[in-house]
Amino acid sequence: MTALALLFTLSAVGISETVYLIRKRIASEKPICPIGENCALVLTSRWSKIFIIPNDILGLLFYVTASFIAGFLVVGVEPVAFWNFIFKLAVALGALLSLFFTYLQWQIIRAWCFWCLMSAFTIWLMGIILLASNF
Amino acid sequence: MKKTAFHFLRVGLAITFLWIGILILKQPEIWSGYLQPWAAGLLPIPITQAMLGTAILDIIIGAFLLVDFLPWLAASAGAVHLVIVLTVSGITDITARDIGLLAAMLALMIDSLPPRILNKIKN
Repeated sequence: MTALALLFTLSAVGISETVYLIRKRIASEKPICPIGENCALVLTSRWSKIFIIPNDILGLLFYVTASFIAGFLVVGVEPVAFWNFIFKLAVALGALLSLFFTYLQWQIIRAWCFWCLMSAFTIWLMGIILLASNF
Repeated sequence: MKKTAFHFLRVGLAITFLWIGILILKQPEIWSGYLQPWAAGLLPIPITQAMLGTAILDIIIGAFLLVDFLPWLAASAGAVHLVIVLTVSGITDITARDIGLLAAMLALMIDSLPPRILNKIKN
């Protein structure tokens, strides 16, 4: 239960963050960049989309799915084993994708984006919690 | 309120409401134990159904706050909801926490009120 509470909390933080980025993108405004000054450079680069889907939308979908599954697992919505598997698979894929995006910022774009790093750390932390709790 | 502080408060309260909603959905009959007998007697529907309704309301308030959609409305509903909770649950070990949540929700409500509503209150 504690692990699920933490996973749900991290998912909710991810939702609020991605909604903020989506709103800023739609309004064509620069997001606040608390650390560094290159958020906009990363968020408007050619790597900010996978095919035609912006990364912030993909992130929102991931976090919404994760929060729903965490909720399902708490309430005990069947099939629990299936939700458990999907959750682990989604976090594993998200963690790998975040690793790739962090590499892009570091070596290809050569600029750091606070929001992208925050999202990456959120997903990695979810992965660590899943591994440590072994539920 | 400073913009950053507002968002910390908004997201924090959103998570609290969402999580409480999920926990009530899991075991509505246990959560109904917090209701004072006089309040339970006033309910026109079975207590479990009332708790499920409460859970859904908590989740809606939490979701609105989380995505920053009509935060003043969500915070107002949350504040009213917390006043009702404080009234119908009596003085318990967790009353102090609910008072803190209510104060935080009122702060959020006051800070997010749209100018047109603020002007109506002032005039």
